Amino acid sequence: MELDFFSGAFFASWLAASVRLAGPLLLVALGELYSERSGVLNIGIEGTMLLGAIASYLVAWQSGSTWFGLMGGILIGCIAGTYLSWMYITVQASQVVVGIIFNIFALGVASYVYRLALRGVSGPQTVEMFKPIAIPFLSEIPFIGPVLFNHTILLYATAGLVAVAGYVLFRTKFGLNLRAVGENPAAAETAGIRVSHMRYMCVIISGAAAGASGAYLVLAQIGQFRDTIVAGQGFIALAIVIFGRWSPYKAALAALIFGAADALQLSIQLFQIDLPPQLFLSLPYVLTILAMSGLVGKANQPEALMVPYRKE
Amino acid sequence: MSSPYLSAQKIVKRFPGVIANNQVDFTVNRGEIHALLGENGAGKSTLMQILYGMYQMDSGKISIEGKQRHIHTSKDAIKAGIGMVHQEFMLVRRFSVVENIVLGMDSDGITGNLTRARERIRDLSKTHGLHVDPDQVIEHLPVGAQQRVEILKLLFREAQLLILDEPTAVLTPQETAALFQVLRHLAEQGHAIVIVTHKLHEIMSVSDRVTIMRDGCVVSALETRNSSENQLAKLMVGRDVSLRVTRSVRPRGKPILKISDLHVTDDRNQKAVTGIDITLHAGEVLGLAGVDGNGQSELAQALLNLRAIQSGQVKMADVDLTHRSPAEHHRNRLAYVPADRRHVGALMGLSIARNVILGSHGKYASQFGLLDEKKINRFAKELVRRFDVRPSDVDYMAGKLSGGNLQKILLGREIMRDPLAYVIEQPTRGLDVGAVEAVWREILSERDAGKAILLISAELEEILNLSDRIAVIYEGRIMGIVEAGDASIEKIGLMMAGVLPDSEAPEIRR
Ligand SMILES: Nc1ncnc2c1ncn2[C@@H]1O[C@H](COP(=O)(O)OP(=O)(O)OP(=O)(O)O)[C@@H](O)[C@H]1O
Ligand SMILES: [Mg+2]
Repeated sequence: MELDFFSGAFFASWLAASVRLAGPLLLVALGELYSERSGVLNIGIEGTMLLGAIASYLVAWQSGSTWFGLMGGILIGCIAGTYLSWMYITVQASQVVVGIIFNIFALGVASYVYRLALRGVSGPQTVEMFKPIAIPFLSEIPFIGPVLFNHTILLYATAGLVAVAGYVLFRTKFGLNLRAVGENPAAAETAGIRVSHMRYMCVIISGAAAGASGAYLVLAQIGQFRDTIVAGQGFIALAIVIFGRWSPYKAALAALIFGAADALQLSIQLFQIDLPPQLFLSLPYVLTILAMSGLVGKANQPEALMVPYRKE
Repeated sequence: MSSPYLSAQKIVKRFPGVIANNQVDFTVNRGEIHALLGENGAGKSTLMQILYGMYQMDSGKISIEGKQRHIHTSKDAIKAGIGMVHQEFMLVRRFSVVENIVLGMDSDGITGNLTRARERIRDLSKTHGLHVDPDQVIEHLPVGAQQRVEILKLLFREAQLLILDEPTAVLTPQETAALFQVLRHLAEQGHAIVIVTHKLHEIMSVSDRVTIMRDGCVVSALETRNSSENQLAKLMVGRDVSLRVTRSVRPRGKPILKISDLHVTDDRNQKAVTGIDITLHAGEVLGLAGVDGNGQSELAQALLNLRAIQSGQVKMADVDLTHRSPAEHHRNRLAYVPADRRHVGALMGLSIARNVILGSHGKYASQFGLLDEKKINRFAKELVRRFDVRPSDVDYMAGKLSGGNLQKILLGREIMRDPLAYVIEQPTRGLDVGAVEAVWREILSERDAGKAILLISAELEEILNLSDRIAVIYEGRIMGIVEAGDASIEKIGLMMAGVLPDSEAPEIRR
């Protein structure tokens, strides 16, 4: 069959892939949103994702259960988040430096553990993955069905978490307190909020989300582990938070755009179009650099982002 | 007589190298306004922050209505009925009034339904004369209104004891009067109120009792009506001080600093200064009065080119300095004493000696670029002696100096450079009367030596005491320039609030 680049089939498959690839990006970005809204820039999510990926891979492989794998990823994410928040909040080391060093450390640990685990085993092992769940009726709608309603439980859960974050951050007292900590920690503290508790909690949430996102890559997209499995997706999530103006709904949109850019690159290779795939491969990273360099603007950025708070 | 509402006994608080509170006894009653007075570094804020749970005391006892209470966090203090308005307002700029007020309160469950809170805020506003719209966003409110929000925040939490740390520093005289009326009303309703201030006339006019601290100890606690300004000043400083400076009448000299049609924007790219024209003459103090945030700090920064000038011109004795570097301003003998002494004016981690040569390093270095310690020390010692800086040890770290002594160093550093003109911003903010007296004297003696001085201050008394002419800035514009002889607190105060006194239009002179 001759496939036309501009056919509906191309679009449907491209959009479905966009949604699929946006899932883990959105999950980790949502966690980062909590952390940044409380005033902590957690760059360590890149490394945390990798640790989440290796942990979930090993647990899923050894136990044979994808659910245990997911829990392993989340658990290691919480541990990493606890360590990082201790460095950011109690030690008050530079958030950027700690994050970057942690990412390098995580890369070393993950590849070492992976090699250790594979000793005496022939070739990389594939683990059981989450299966796509077609939602009855909805998935049969032409075009929209396959794009939106034939995904894994992880994607549906992530979409649900967008609404949860929107509600928690902007409709609850807890969210108000959380945002106050990120805007003006001294004011929050004098109003009776424990700034350091709040920040610990938010960084640990971002760690858990990053760990889960790493597990997502293994358990819903690849079924294996490799050192390059994360490949900057944690950094892309930082950009998504900026493009999303620190709002979960807009972040979802931004994640879709990044997912689409990534999917385009895949589709183009698939459809053998005569364009260098590297061009599209680099697209998400170029967007990330633009976002990080402040070209996108800082409207809504929490005022105390990256400013440590010391109670006198 | 009933027992006091709050009583603090034998409070001790040590910081590395200082005893900030040394066996302090302090009591406040319901229904009274209690003033807390003391020199810079006497330990007033430390005591208040202990009561509000921000510092932990080393020893001592706090009781409320006769019952001992343990206060470890602000939350504990709030529960005990204590509320505090900090000198720097503790408000989230991008939140609305109602959001700021309910912040950190755990009543009303987890959902953020603010309808009931709005109602209560409206009620409280009405009963206490604290007018503010609950849905306004803080960053759009003037300082006076922000302070009302702070007070509402305390009342909303049902605070019985209200502590205000230097609440009048940023208000117009009219706003101050309104604040005092609110405080009186609250006291009559049975609240206990503590106000920390350096302004003696305010203490005399509003307080019922005064506690005076010196060097971490309480030296006296007395009824206001049995005392006088002079007595208070003497108790506080330990010697006589007079806040009456005499300003000789002298003719204005030739123009030195010319500012024409200056336009400057603020950090958020909003217009901050819109078309200011000022000519500063030799031998005069031109006071620039205005409530904080009306463009005066942007103006000062632009004059030194520490902030980009959008359009207009700054000329110093016929040299155009408009877009020239701050170093060139120095070379052309324009000196700057910034409002933010601790972040802009000095390097807190360096010694006095190192701070006093800032900007003139070249003069204290050998031809190989090495610093000449002997020369530096000689110069620093001279400065410290001439301006009576305490301690007089030139190796003492600038960050540990009290506000007054740090200011003497910043002012001294510029004076020793012998400039032609000064831009001096909020020179006595937060200083005690002893230090204020010293700074005022230095400024006037520079004027008498023929220097041109632009004195930017939100403190009306300072403006009226020192200035030969008074310009009032409001929303980035000059409302008018008044000769000292024609100025009164009321007239300038109204202009600071953006009102031109209609009976007599101010004379505008350039
Ligand atoms: N966090 C701190 N660490 C170390 N020393 C401190 C600290 N806070 C205050 N001090 C010292 O304690 C003493 C009392 O300071 P405090 O701020 O209570 O004085 P104050 O009476 O409020 O002065 P001011 O009128 O200048 O506000 C000073 O010597 C000060 O340097
Ligand atoms: Mg103080």
